[in-house]
Amino acid sequence: MLNYGYCISQPGKIMVSRSPLYELQKKLGARFTEFAGFEMPIQYSSIIDEHLTVRKSVGLFDVSHMSNVWISGKDAMKLLSLATVADATKVSEKQSQYTVILKEDGTIIDDTIFMNLGDKYMMIPNAGMNTIVTKWLNDQAKKHKLAAKAEDVSKDFVILAIQGPKSRETLQKLTDLDLNSVKFFGCEYAEIAGVKCVISHTGYTGELGFELQINPTKKAEIVFNKILEAGKEFGIKPIGLGARDTLRLEKCFMLAGNEFHGGRTPLEATLGWTINWEHDFIGKDALLKQKEKGGFERITCLQCVEKGVPRHGCEIQREGKSVGIVTSGTLSPCLNVGIAMGYVHPDFRQEGSILDIMVRDRPMKAKVVKPPFVPKDWAQTN
Amino acid sequence: MANEVRKDLKYTETHEWLKLAGKNAKVGITDHAQSELTDIVFVELPAVGKVVKKGDELCVVESVKSVSEVYAPISGKITNVNKKLEDKPETINTSPYDDGWLVEIEVDNKAEINALLDAESYKKIA
Repeated sequence: MLNYGYCISQPGKIMVSRSPLYELQKKLGARFTEFAGFEMPIQYSSIIDEHLTVRKSVGLFDVSHMSNVWISGKDAMKLLSLATVADATKVSEKQSQYTVILKEDGTIIDDTIFMNLGDKYMMIPNAGMNTIVTKWLNDQAKKHKLAAKAEDVSKDFVILAIQGPKSRETLQKLTDLDLNSVKFFGCEYAEIAGVKCVISHTGYTGELGFELQINPTKKAEIVFNKILEAGKEFGIKPIGLGARDTLRLEKCFMLAGNEFHGGRTPLEATLGWTINWEHDFIGKDALLKQKEKGGFERITCLQCVEKGVPRHGCEIQREGKSVGIVTSGTLSPCLNVGIAMGYVHPDFRQEGSILDIMVRDRPMKAKVVKPPFVPKDWAQTN
Repeated sequence: MANEVRKDLKYTETHEWLKLAGKNAKVGITDHAQSELTDIVFVELPAVGKVVKKGDELCVVESVKSVSEVYAPISGKITNVNKKLEDKPETINTSPYDDGWLVEIEVDNKAEINALLDAESYKKIA
C-alpha cells in the first residue's frame, strides 16, 4: 500500500529541480513530491490542516516551480495582445491580467498572468512551461515582425504566495508600501523585509492574498522567514502543493496539467470570460467557429451526494452511458464531501442534474453545481 | 513522526497489522502507514462474508491526495468490518491499532500467521 504520490498529469517531464528554499523547507518538516520537474513540498503538517489555515487565517507557499518570463521591447504590448486572449492595451501600468495563450487551432498552450510593470512585463507561465512559452512568444514576435523579446528568467526568481484573510496584515508589517493601495490584480515593484521584489495582489486560493517575485533567489530565505515571523500571531503555517491543489479546486480554478490536458479551448474550459473579442489574437478564428457550431463539452463542477472521493480520470456517466471525464477531484476539506471538475457533454451539465462518477467501476452520485464549491465568505460563517 | 510498533501484533511488509483472537484475526494498517498517508478521508470496506486470499486487495484507504490498497495479510472469510470508519475514517489516524481496525478475518490456515513479520522485524522497515 502506501501511495502518497501526487496524482497528476505532468506537462513535459524534465530533470528534477529544487527550489532554493528546499533545505529550509526540509527543516520545517516538509514532505516533498515531484511536480512538473520540481521537487516541491507537498505538505508539512497535513493537507486538511494547511488548507483550513489558509481559509481561516494565513499561509505561506513557495511556488518557485512556476515560471518567470520578462517581455520587453517597444512592441511588447502588441505581442501580448496577439499571443493572449486579453487586449493588453487595456492593462495599464501596475495592473496584471489572467489570460490564456492559444495555438492557431484555439487550444490552450498555457494559462498565465502577465503584469504590466511599466518598463516591461513579467509573465508567469505554469511549471515546466517556461521554455515552450518563451519560444512561442519569440516565434510570434518574429513572424509578425514585432520589436518584442521574451526572456526565460525562471531560475532567477523565487515565487512566494502569502494567502488568507490575515495575509495583508502579516505582510504589511514588512513593508512601507500601503498594501491597501495594491488593488485586486494590482502589481508593482516593492521592498518586502528589506528585499526588492515584485508584489501582486493575486493568488490561487480564492482568498485575500499576495504573490512575491524575488530576485536574487538567495534573498528569498530572509523573506520566507520574516513572513513566518510576522504571521506568528495569526498562526501562519508553511503550506504545501497538496493544500494548494485542494484550495484551488474548491474555487474551481483550472490546473493546466489537468483541465487543459489534451488540447482544450478556453470555451471548453469555461474561460470564455477571459476573452476580449474586440481585438485580434491567435486562435480567434478557431474559437469563433467553435462558438458558432456549439455542442462541445465543457468544464462542469460536480459535488458528490454519496461518500467517496472522485479522482482525475474517473469516467462520468448518465444511465450507464459515458457523458464526460473528471479532470480534477478531491475531498473538499471545507465541505467534507467529494468534489470534482470535469468535461461533460452539453446535454448533461444543467445545474442540479445528477450524474454518476465511476470510482473503481462503481457509480457514485454527484450533482452538477455552480462554481465555486466554497463561497467567498466561508470562513466567516463556519 | 508517529511510529509505534506493538509487540503483540504481526505485520506485513506492506504495512498491515494482524491480531489473532481465537479463530478470528483483526486487521488494520500500522501507525507508520497512517502517519505516511496523513488525513484519511475515506475507507471502502469489503462485504462481510467475502472470502479473500492472502495478498488480495482487502479494502481501499484514501487520503486527500492518494488512494492506497490494503492487502489481506492472510486468507479467510471476512466476518466483520469496522462500520464506524464509514463516518469517521480519521479514526485510523488517531487510533490505528485499536478503534481504527479495518476488518476481522476467520483464519483459514494458521501457518500463514506464523509467516508474518514480528514486531522486531517490522521495526526495521517502518
